[in-house]
Amino acid sequence: MLRNIKPANARSKRALDARLPKEVEDPRTTIFVRGTHTGELLNGVMRDLMALKRPHAIAFSKKNDIHPFDTASTSTASLEFWATKNDASMFVIGQTTKKRPHGLTFVRMFDNRVLDMLEVGVESWVSMADLKTPKSTPGHKPLMHFASDLFETNPRFAQLKSMLIALFNGEVIDSICLAGLEYVISVSLGPSVPAPATMYPNLVTEDLSTLPTIHLRTYTTRLLASGTRTPRVELTPMGPSLDMKLRRHTPADPELLKQAMKTPKLKKTDVEKGLGKKRKNIEVDEMGDLRGRVHVGKQDLGRLQTRKMKGLKGGDEDAEEQEPEEPEEQEGRKKQRRREST
Amino acid sequence: MDVSSIIASNASKFQSIAVEKDTPLDVDAALLVATDPNPIDEESYSTDLEVHLQALARDGIQALCTVLFALPTQRSDDGPLAQLPPPTTALPRAKPLPKPKPPTKWEQFAAAKGIQHKVRDKREWDEERQEWVNRWGRDGKNRRLEEQWITEVPLNADVDHDPRKIARDERKARVAKNEKQRLGNAARAAGTPRDARKQEIERTLATSRVSTASMGKFDKKLEGEKKIRGVKRKFEPTEKPLEEEKNASLALLARMGSDAKKTRREPSKEEDVLNVRKAIRSASRGRGGIALGRAASAGGGRGGSRGRGRGKR
Repeated sequence: MLRNIKPANARSKRALDARLPKEVEDPRTTIFVRGTHTGELLNGVMRDLMALKRPHAIAFSKKNDIHPFDTASTSTASLEFWATKNDASMFVIGQTTKKRPHGLTFVRMFDNRVLDMLEVGVESWVSMADLKTPKSTPGHKPLMHFASDLFETNPRFAQLKSMLIALFNGEVIDSICLAGLEYVISVSLGPSVPAPATMYPNLVTEDLSTLPTIHLRTYTTRLLASGTRTPRVELTPMGPSLDMKLRRHTPADPELLKQAMKTPKLKKTDVEKGLGKKRKNIEVDEMGDLRGRVHVGKQDLGRLQTRKMKGLKGGDEDAEEQEPEEPEEQEGRKKQRRREST
Repeated sequence: MDVSSIIASNASKFQSIAVEKDTPLDVDAALLVATDPNPIDEESYSTDLEVHLQALARDGIQALCTVLFALPTQRSDDGPLAQLPPPTTALPRAKPLPKPKPPTKWEQFAAAKGIQHKVRDKREWDEERQEWVNRWGRDGKNRRLEEQWITEVPLNADVDHDPRKIARDERKARVAKNEKQRLGNAARAAGTPRDARKQEIERTLATSRVSTASMGKFDKKLEGEKKIRGVKRKFEPTEKPLEEEKNASLALLARMGSDAKKTRREPSKEEDVLNVRKAIRSASRGRGGIALGRAASAGGGRGGSRGRGRGKR
């Protein structure tokens, strides 16, 4: 597909090395692709999502004949090609048709192959520009909030949650500036409708109309003094606001997912923090030294040999009786040993 | 003194930061994600959607902030940096885990001997020039012997003794050696099977030994050189288990009946029924196509070959 490039100079070598797999990964670079027809609404949605995703976003401004859920088309090959060429690992594809108006497809890649896909239909939209409120600084990390029990129980919504976290907040960081927590992406669902009871629950295909609407809202934060260290948070709508419905999806191939979920070996510092396998009686003190606690048997203070004093002897008569016997025994043993040695 | 009123008045100035939910929120501080597992309240959802969503988000974010602001911090120019714990939510990676590099021969040796890795500075202090100079590269110290303007020559030196050339050759040899070792490490890392390479060398050696006019009979033998052994013929035992014999016969029959050999011996059936080569041979009586063509063109004027034949008689 792409030719295997051999770096000719140090600069191109650095650029190629930056693309190699890393233990702690960079944020997922996302390509925003327009399908054959997008329409004003989807263009606006993608522009606003891109504004949130910047600087790790690439826009494809031309239309592309791409149908990711159509297995007969070459769309998967196209996605893989784009991912390799741009070193991107996520796609947001907008496509509107008569059958599926305002469709937004999220595609996640692993190792430049398609891992899983998810399509939502946008029902209503308020753009960032429509709300005349303060906006966040581009490039800041959002706080994310998911509200519904379905995000843990329903696999479709679990996939959506995983996909949105990967899109906006996927990379692992070790510290964050608390003053830089500027905006919030909140994803909430409508009230969950219990599925109609049927005699054959296994035979019923998933009915998309029973799935609740997804409300994606963005807010800027205001941190107010609360008298304690933790501030009180107030939110102001920022935009974009999206109401969406779940549509088609492709779950991840189990074999590929297994590879994708592999985690790096824990570092020594993490093990000391108490991660991974539980290690008892080991702790790190303030100086960074590893300290262990060893269990010794319970000390019997009654048999502790202290200094013998005449004045203390009086109470225990049994001890006095035993005492004269002991030296004889010891002498006997010594004699035996001597005999053995000679 | 009763301070309860002061505390109460102070508390009334600030709004509460406590979040009360039936099920406590699930917070992943590393990914800055808070998940509210409580079911959505249908009543507030239907009355005013935007207010409901904002209140829900505020509570969730407040819970997240409570966790984030309780984390140990580090000072920085831009404000306090919260030290985040490792994530609890598992997300699929974008690329596979990096493969560990196979150790070089030196690294293996150093590990076996317990030699610590030492980082050597690229620059070195030059006592003569009283400045830091590069060890190698631009104005490198490794070229000092080649570049100094005067060099001591030993008494018994040759006429064409060139100390600059000697120093340069030594340096170039060191570079070449290093490159060779690097290539060796790269080849080892690529994982060329050692046995396969050994077989290849042995085969080449065996061919070269019998490639003289005498097929190696009068060549000098090296000490410890082995005699070339040919392929030893092996015969099947006269008596075999019935099953084996049956299988061998069936395999032979299958090979005889297979198309692989047949196609080579016989022309394929798709070809024309007429064998052109045979037809020309019989028509020209074995003299070939050119003669036949000549005869056909001459037939009108001189009566063809028959006429000539008659004349000779």
